[in-house]
Amino acid sequence: MKHLSIYPVAVVLLLGFFMAAQAHHGWSGNTAGDVEITGEVVEGVSLAGAHGTLQIRDADGRVWDITLAPGPRTHRAGLREDTIPVGAEVTVHGERHEDPEVFEAKVRRVIWEDQVFDVYPPRD
Amino acid sequence: MYELMAWLEASALAEFLRGLGIWTYGIVNLAHILGIGLLFGTVAVLDLRLLGLWRSIPVATIARPTVPLAATGFVLAIVSGIMMLSFNTTEYHGNPFLYIKLPLVGLGLINVAVITRLPAWRRAMAGATGESTDRIVLPIAGAMSLAIWLAVITCGRMIGYW
Repeated sequence: MKHLSIYPVAVVLLLGFFMAAQAHHGWSGNTAGDVEITGEVVEGVSLAGAHGTLQIRDADGRVWDITLAPGPRTHRAGLREDTIPVGAEVTVHGERHEDPEVFEAKVRRVIWEDQVFDVYPPRD
Repeated sequence: MYELMAWLEASALAEFLRGLGIWTYGIVNLAHILGIGLLFGTVAVLDLRLLGLWRSIPVATIARPTVPLAATGFVLAIVSGIMMLSFNTTEYHGNPFLYIKLPLVGLGLINVAVITRLPAWRRAMAGATGESTDRIVLPIAGAMSLAIWLAVITCGRMIGYW
């Protein structure tokens, strides 16, 4: 009787571990290699939500969704919501989404004029 | 689904939360964890009792503190969960873990409704002598509950890693 009722629990545990192994980590969707994008800020930095965000339009007119570090961390790197005005030209360094049709990148560094914001530690 | 997500993202609640400052998401996340801790911590004790552990303690005695605490944790987790989703809802469009998790939460509630209507549960709560089938029905109910909430928490944890 006890063995009977433990069975579904074991199945769910196994399923959980399998899914955990599949999911791996938060940058798993951004494996298409390092990318450097320069563009005009379309939507300014937002520090609400799980991560900070930013939207830029590159020279080819493509709008990129830029994911920064979590709000407090981005803030600590000196990048505030009102730091960079909309329309300014910025350059970001990070990793782009694995799907070439998706213009999204998780970035470590944002450069605006003479200011460098390392929201994550530089790799070099 | 996308329309519903876009609606939540554009809602007054979402606008309000986004305007509260950079620590808001973390604090709402904290409330979600507290809710989950309260829910699963108490549900685990009750479910393990139903599975046959600690037989010297009557089910009704264990249910008295665990059921209201589990309900409190559930409400806290639901409210904070909707809040967390509202920050950037459309970002989760197509996220399989979210799409599995939400129906599982519903299943968890249905499971509660079913268990509390079982004659076996009613007998246990009344402290009455159980019938022989109760020793099969109650462990199954406990195992179902444990399995569902464990699956909900697993899916929830994985949403951010998709």
